[in-house]
Amino acid sequence: MSSDDMNIRVEGLGKRYEIYAQPADRLKQMLMPRVGWALGRPHRDYFKEFWALRNVSFNVRRGETVGIIGRNGSGKSTLLQMVCGTLHPTEGSVAVRGRIAALLELGAGFNPEFTGRENVYLSGLLYGISESVLRSRFQSIVDFADIGDFIDQPVKTYSSGMYVRLAFAVAAHVDADTLVIDEALSVGDVRFTQKCMRYLRDFQKRGTLLFVSHDTGAVTNLCSRAIWLDGGEQVMDGSARDVVERYLAAQHAADRASLGESVTVRTTANSDLPATGEDHGMPADVVDPRKAVLNGEATRNLIEVFDFDLEQIDSEFGAGAARIVNVQLQLLGGDGKAHRLVAGGEVADLSIDVDVLQPIDAPIFGFYVKDRLGQRIFGDNTYVSYHERPVQAQPGTRLRAHFRFRMPVLPSGDYSVDVALATGTQESHTQQHWIHDAISFKAHESTMRHGLVGIPMHRIEIEQVGA
Amino acid sequence: MISAYKLADPLSPYRALSRHLALVVQMARRDVVGRYRGSFVGLLWSFFNPLLMLMIYTFVFGVIFKSRWRGQTGGQFEFAVILFAGLNINSMFTECANRAPTLIVENTNFVKKVVFPLETLSWSVIGSALFHLLVSTLVLLIIEWLANGAVPWTAVLFPAVIACFLPFVAGVVWLLASLGVFLRDLKQAIGIITTALMFLAPIMYPKETIPVAFRNWMYLNPLTAIVEASQDVLVWGRQPAWEILGLYTLVSMLFAWLAFAWFERSRKGFADVL
Repeated sequence: MSSDDMNIRVEGLGKRYEIYAQPADRLKQMLMPRVGWALGRPHRDYFKEFWALRNVSFNVRRGETVGIIGRNGSGKSTLLQMVCGTLHPTEGSVAVRGRIAALLELGAGFNPEFTGRENVYLSGLLYGISESVLRSRFQSIVDFADIGDFIDQPVKTYSSGMYVRLAFAVAAHVDADTLVIDEALSVGDVRFTQKCMRYLRDFQKRGTLLFVSHDTGAVTNLCSRAIWLDGGEQVMDGSARDVVERYLAAQHAADRASLGESVTVRTTANSDLPATGEDHGMPADVVDPRKAVLNGEATRNLIEVFDFDLEQIDSEFGAGAARIVNVQLQLLGGDGKAHRLVAGGEVADLSIDVDVLQPIDAPIFGFYVKDRLGQRIFGDNTYVSYHERPVQAQPGTRLRAHFRFRMPVLPSGDYSVDVALATGTQESHTQQHWIHDAISFKAHESTMRHGLVGIPMHRIEIEQVGA
Repeated sequence: MISAYKLADPLSPYRALSRHLALVVQMARRDVVGRYRGSFVGLLWSFFNPLLMLMIYTFVFGVIFKSRWRGQTGGQFEFAVILFAGLNINSMFTECANRAPTLIVENTNFVKKVVFPLETLSWSVIGSALFHLLVSTLVLLIIEWLANGAVPWTAVLFPAVIACFLPFVAGVVWLLASLGVFLRDLKQAIGIITTALMFLAPIMYPKETIPVAFRNWMYLNPLTAIVEASQDVLVWGRQPAWEILGLYTLVSMLFAWLAFAWFERSRKGFADVL
């Protein structure tokens, strides 16, 4: 590969922190070697040293997305700070081509006394964007951050969520060639996180992304490549999947070692317990025999649904022959009534209401359920069920589509649902109205730790098959 | 970005200004506006403040002490106006020098979280002090016009006098800002030094009243030359002593260059102790 493709070049990078008892010792360290040399006195250091990072080398090509993983204190943030130029390397070098925008930890260098507006201009100028360009983009930044009147309040009054919203909004508007993100997204709410993930996925097509996270799921999902740091050393650099697998294996081994090799066995559920409640016309054979136990106090996978609110929609598109006016996700509990808080594994009903504005032929309703990273977990549409007998609708009518399905058991976290109405066929269609993150829900206290969804197990047994 | 400047270049302190002009202006403006945010009359305070001070000086020195400057012919206002011309220079310097030691310490974010051209903070502090100097000078000229019916034409030379002063002030800010990070006692010491400089400059008394033996030592005070020059152009209506100002400018630029180079060299250590 030619060196022109190279966006970030890190060579033999190391950072030694010098820990000084008093600020004045730092000054002595700067001056005394010269004075001491002149007086012929032996050299002495005024600090205790600590290597946060050592011997790290890698190159990142333009357009690549690289994840950096490692435990707390492994040097991830130190590395990023040096890539961004806020920290000076003790040894080695970093070269970055083009404009780099960073969201480091919380805060990204806003001045807490300044208002949001002032900070937007200040950060913009720091990124080298001229004041006139900033003025023209200001509205777009404010819309992206979506923090309302707080834009004219000092940043010190912001919640951490608002802070990161504004910081991300600025970083998204400075035409960065490289974006560096350090755990910043974990503080936003679902809707904002989704917005950021959409932005990042789009950004990946044109820019270089350096992504630091403890969340290995996010890393495998977003990055093609990952670098694993441990104790300031570069342990591995390779495909995101390989690195994450090795990292998790090492973590697991370390955890086991700290537990002193004690093995914990979880007792299996008694599969003779009857399933609770009705199943709303769902075939009975999909009922997980463990359901009663899984729904017990400690292991319940509670799912909390937030209502659809037209005012809250911040991303939608479509040709506009029809408009989605209401979306409801009801989780039908054991008693057959609609609940806002129901366990995973129960039957859910998603309905989408549409106002028809122009005559439409063969509408297709569809939805996607996405996790916090914007990864589509599952989804479906009405095409196959209706393509033999297409529905036609005239302006002024309202259509409602129902999807009834068994809600899978979900790892705890935030989820959202995209809904859409299209016309045409599966292969060739026009989106009439697509709403990103129309509704969101939250899964709590799941026993499910790994994978994207839990599926009902029909049978679980251990048997002895040999002597 | 360790140092983006060629420190061997004696004009590097001014490149810091020209390169980041928009940023400096933004920071200075925010500083001026921010100071009065939330107060009832807002920016008008920067106008009332010097006006009230001038009235107090007039009453105390003109009416109570009946102080007279040598060669002074006018009424009660005149002494106050002369005093004010000198004090304005002193306040401009004091404002910058007092803020300098905490400039970096109070903006830790700019050191650790973003790549900020820290060297421009010096120019923004000066920018906001210049704004206050401008307002005070306008007040002075208005009072002078009301009292004497005229303003000396040499007032147009005032910006040139201030231009000779700025490199020195910038140098002081760089030096103190850098040292202030490492020596936290600096802030206390600065208050004493600026007060001493005020009393040891011909601000409240004419140079002629100083015993001859000490008179030329006065010029070791970096405020003296500028104070005299601004009294010349704003009150006496005569040309400033250009040869002194020229020499002053040279020394002041040399100082700014050294201070800037020190600042750029020492900034690597900021992140270690903040």
